[in-house]
Amino acid sequence: MYTVRVADLSSLLSIDGAPGFLPPLKTTGARSSASNPESDLNAALRFPRGPCSFKSSLFPPKEVVARYPRPAEQEPDEVAPSGSSPSRLVNVRACELRAMTYLDRVFGHEPVGDPFYQKRRQAHVVISVDCAEPHPTCFCTLVDGKPYAEEGFDVNLTPIEGAYVVEAGSPAGEALLETRRQILREATEADVAARRAVREQAIERLRAINAAHADAAPFGPMNGDFDAHAGVTRFGATCVECGACTQICPTCHCFYLVDHQTDKDRFHRLRAWDSCMWKGYSQMAGGERMKPNPRSQFRTRFANRFQHKYVWSPQQWDMLGCVGCGRCVEACPGRIDIREVLGEVSAWSR
Amino acid sequence: MVTLSPYEPMISKVVEVITETPTIKTFVIEPPEPFVFRAGQFAQVTVPGEGEAPFTPSSDPAEPERLEFTVIRTGRMTERLHAVKPGDRLGVRGPFGQGYPIQEMAGKHVLIVGGGCGLAPLRSLILALLRQMDRIAGMHIRYGARESRECLYQRAYDQWGAIPKVDVACTIDVAEEGWRGHVGVVTTLLDKLPAPKDEVVAVSCGPEIMLKFVTQTLLERGLDPDQIILSMNRRMSCGIGKCGRCNIGPYYLCCDGPDIHYAKIKDFAHVF
Repeated sequence: MYTVRVADLSSLLSIDGAPGFLPPLKTTGARSSASNPESDLNAALRFPRGPCSFKSSLFPPKEVVARYPRPAEQEPDEVAPSGSSPSRLVNVRACELRAMTYLDRVFGHEPVGDPFYQKRRQAHVVISVDCAEPHPTCFCTLVDGKPYAEEGFDVNLTPIEGAYVVEAGSPAGEALLETRRQILREATEADVAARRAVREQAIERLRAINAAHADAAPFGPMNGDFDAHAGVTRFGATCVECGACTQICPTCHCFYLVDHQTDKDRFHRLRAWDSCMWKGYSQMAGGERMKPNPRSQFRTRFANRFQHKYVWSPQQWDMLGCVGCGRCVEACPGRIDIREVLGEVSAWSR
Repeated sequence: MVTLSPYEPMISKVVEVITETPTIKTFVIEPPEPFVFRAGQFAQVTVPGEGEAPFTPSSDPAEPERLEFTVIRTGRMTERLHAVKPGDRLGVRGPFGQGYPIQEMAGKHVLIVGGGCGLAPLRSLILALLRQMDRIAGMHIRYGARESRECLYQRAYDQWGAIPKVDVACTIDVAEEGWRGHVGVVTTLLDKLPAPKDEVVAVSCGPEIMLKFVTQTLLERGLDPDQIILSMNRRMSCGIGKCGRCNIGPYYLCCDGPDIHYAKIKDFAHVF
């Protein structure tokens, strides 16, 4: 374990001068100071998590996944998605690492993996940062998570007074730190103690933030049909079906393939994010007798979001489909708070 | 090894279009390489520029170089598909899903219950079983259509029925002048099982409302939920368990189905 001074942050994180991907930050309170990028970066890493996760850098909202027909004689193209050249994901939080594990399972699922996601995933070194300051909607500790990462990262940083504690979590992370030895200092016992204090304090803050949900929590795998439960569906009353909750969610991964003509006899196949909050989500062709929509009611789609994360994901992927980041709570114009919904169901569904 | 996009369709030539009924056509295509599939596995069929929709081949799995898809005209995509002519090109991607559990049919009487265009995937199963009749006790085809002119593969009924251990019964929903066959919905052909219940495996494909009543009837006749295999439909896109919406409970039909034992799904809401 090492420490790095704030002044050396950008040299630690940059690859050939480029800082890698940094999820956008909430602008409120974040003052940009062009003259001092070091302090911007420092602020970013000490801030609560941003409103957007890493998701779109590994799984873009829209991308071309096939072109057809392939010209005669041309050999099949190696899949080489944009954004798959070596880079870094910086400022990833522990909840997002969990989400990556989830998406790794979905997109890596045999017999056919998704090379677009997988290639990007492999190309990125992941630099995670402890949440010294949780966001007011964060609830990772209610879903068996922690505001800091213990695995799944290449390098992890913990902000302490005037510096960061730096830990490698993989051979790639160790290799990266090896090239930065001149700005790293071996961590002292005091540094390790400071890290422990930051982590304990974050958990304490989360406890305070989520005091109202303490009785219903923790939230684990659940059972039952949520849409049959009026207590759940009543939360849908303020839903405007915008889909912000699913777009912003670091684990939601529904998509649909859409074809376009690009030239005479040339076509693109786009993959675009979809959302169970949208009306056409389950709509198939066919007349009334054919029952073309198994989720024709809004409440079944509304329930689907929670049910997939808490009932089916544990069966499908051996983990919850929710990491407790609270981004959906923050994004929802209808003020729907997943913690309240879960509190409602957790009692009867266990 | 080259990593290919699992979303790229294999562009194939349409060699024949057969008009089966006023609303149903069969498209015969020759893919550039054999499309090896098990009966019941499905493909995503591309109309270039229009998009994809999932269809199960209706042809014999033993002939992977010549695929047939039998499609009812029912929406935007199938409207475009029905305009396709011999010589045009379609894309195929797959095969996806599990296919029918033919190994479970060994020594059994296979009761095949189809409705409307639902006979299409079942035809692939029928053709596959006809090649191994020595391995099953019998094949009993029960088929219902709305009206006589909508009866699919009419040309084959007598041919199938003439094969030892195979019988075929067909019904139409409402009586018509000149129709001498059975009248009533398909469940009226299920008054009794073709063999003692322990010797039967039932397979059904058709509109969901039909599957619901077929299932109900078969349960009343004494079959267990794990003796009933249903071809379920949900909106599918990727075919490989990634895109998220073709689930019944925790099962993705594109991977775990589309043909799935009723026992697996019976306790979930909105199955039918």
